[in-house]
Amino acid sequence: MVELKNVSKIYPHNVVGLKNVSINIKPKEFVSIVGQSGAGKSTLVKLLIAEERPSSGQIIIGDWDITHIRRSRIPVLRRQIGVVFQDFKLLPQKTVFENVAFAAQVCGEKNKKIKELVPKILNIVGLEDKSHRYPQQLSGGERQRVVIARSLIHRPKLLIADEPTGNLDSINAKEIIELLLRINEHNTTVILVTHNKEIVNSLKKRVITIAEGEVISDKEKGRYIL
Amino acid sequence: MIFRIIKFAFQNFYRNFWLALVTITILTVALFSITALITLNVIADKSIKSIEEKIDISIYFKKDADIQRILATKMEVSKLPEVKKTTLINKKDALNWFRQKHQNDKAILSSVDILDENPLGDVLVIKAKNTNDYQKILKFLSEKKYDDIIDRRDFDNKDHKEIIAKINAIKNKVRKIGYIIIGIFSFISILIVFNTVRIAIYTHRQEIAIMKLVGATNWFIRAPFLVEEVFYAFLSSMILISVFYPLLNFLEPHLNYFLNYNVDLLNYFKNNFFLIFGSEFLVISFINVFSSFIAMKKYLKV
Ligand SMILES: Nc1ncnc2c1ncn2[C@@H]1O[C@H](COP(=O)(O)OP(=O)(O)OP(=O)(O)O)[C@@H](O)[C@H]1O
Ligand SMILES: [Mg+2]
Repeated sequence: MVELKNVSKIYPHNVVGLKNVSINIKPKEFVSIVGQSGAGKSTLVKLLIAEERPSSGQIIIGDWDITHIRRSRIPVLRRQIGVVFQDFKLLPQKTVFENVAFAAQVCGEKNKKIKELVPKILNIVGLEDKSHRYPQQLSGGERQRVVIARSLIHRPKLLIADEPTGNLDSINAKEIIELLLRINEHNTTVILVTHNKEIVNSLKKRVITIAEGEVISDKEKGRYIL
Repeated sequence: MIFRIIKFAFQNFYRNFWLALVTITILTVALFSITALITLNVIADKSIKSIEEKIDISIYFKKDADIQRILATKMEVSKLPEVKKTTLINKKDALNWFRQKHQNDKAILSSVDILDENPLGDVLVIKAKNTNDYQKILKFLSEKKYDDIIDRRDFDNKDHKEIIAKINAIKNKVRKIGYIIIGIFSFISILIVFNTVRIAIYTHRQEIAIMKLVGATNWFIRAPFLVEEVFYAFLSSMILISVFYPLLNFLEPHLNYFLNYNVDLLNYFKNNFFLIFGSEFLVISFINVFSSFIAMKKYLKV
């Protein structure tokens, strides 16, 4: 599903983002990526969604070599990947429903289809009864669930969540992880970037540890080792 | 899709209402300065034409000249390629015509009034196609063979020439100043539009970030800004038209009185409506789209 071959990312002024990283993630896997601040986790995410280009190496998503992806093709890539970031990025003047619908609208989805699709997705994340609320009327966990709902609008085969629990207390964080697990059970590959030791240890799934831009450990049923 | 783009464009408009107002005002002022320049140009051209119309050669035939030879002369002159029109005035009507022609010249009028008898013979009035052709026509009629029937050849264009030169000088000056003014306003327009788009991008940074993340195409992200700017161009053109026509309507009688002929500006702007306002709209749209693109290139990063 996702394959990185000897990928390096050097930012200007020789700042190392990633160094010679090779990772292979199979379809339907649930992978946690851990590492200290500045290790290069977000850099990895940015490379996967083509927000940054690798300095060397090769990146393949599905059957698609996106190493030298053309700008005009980036939207096509992004419609196949769901992305969730730590800072919520919901539109405050739009309701839950509208926030999710917005993602479909700007990609040219038909109104009729949107009306069908959005309630279904809100159902998956358990917010069907709050669809007319505004973001400031929701708890942090609920907001993050809206963001996840929005990322599911294109029914992606791959979901990437960069610290989705970063701003949440442990109960809300747990709920979000459970949601990600449920999405994973429905055949979506999930890449979870996190700092949260408790969560990683309780997952008992594959863990990739990055330090200073390098993969220092990659274990099935791994634990948080830093 | 198009409907959505237009909807987003209008949301931009409402959300940055004051900025939109300033933009439209500046664009309208820019358009107005262009239109004013066109107007002044038209007035100058029409004034020159109306003065040129007054220029002619009057050939005063001798009282006893043979009518056959007069008619033959008229025929010959008409055949010259430079001549636009010849009118033969019968000696009976000549005095009235003469009085009218010199109605502003009291000295000449009174000198005619003293005489009891009509001093004039037939008169041939010749109009040339071009003001520069009169000398040629005059030369043709100066040939010896006409001397026995022609009493006087009257070509008085000194005043006219001076006035035309003056108008041309004013016209050129106005044009030069006009170009500077248009240049300044275009520059201001570019700056203003550039900043409107920049601020619009800033106010929409969240939406734009989300659009990019969920895979909206670059064109879909750009289009609302372009639509908005073209809409500004359209709106300012409309405002210009709705201000300009009443103003012209009000000014035209005064202008006609002042210039002492019918400039007929309203008609001119009616006949050239699409040429003038259409191209003004296109030019201002082009300026807007151009500066939007620069702003988007700089701040949108798509
Ligand atoms: N746009 C950029 N330009 C230059 N350097 C960058 C840029 N983005 C990240 N870096 C650098 O690359 C390194 C890796 O950063 P990255 O954001 O991937 O870390 P991270 O593992 O996500 O950290 P955190 O846990 O704090 O989010 C850091 O040293 C960072 O300063
Ligand atoms: Mg990060």
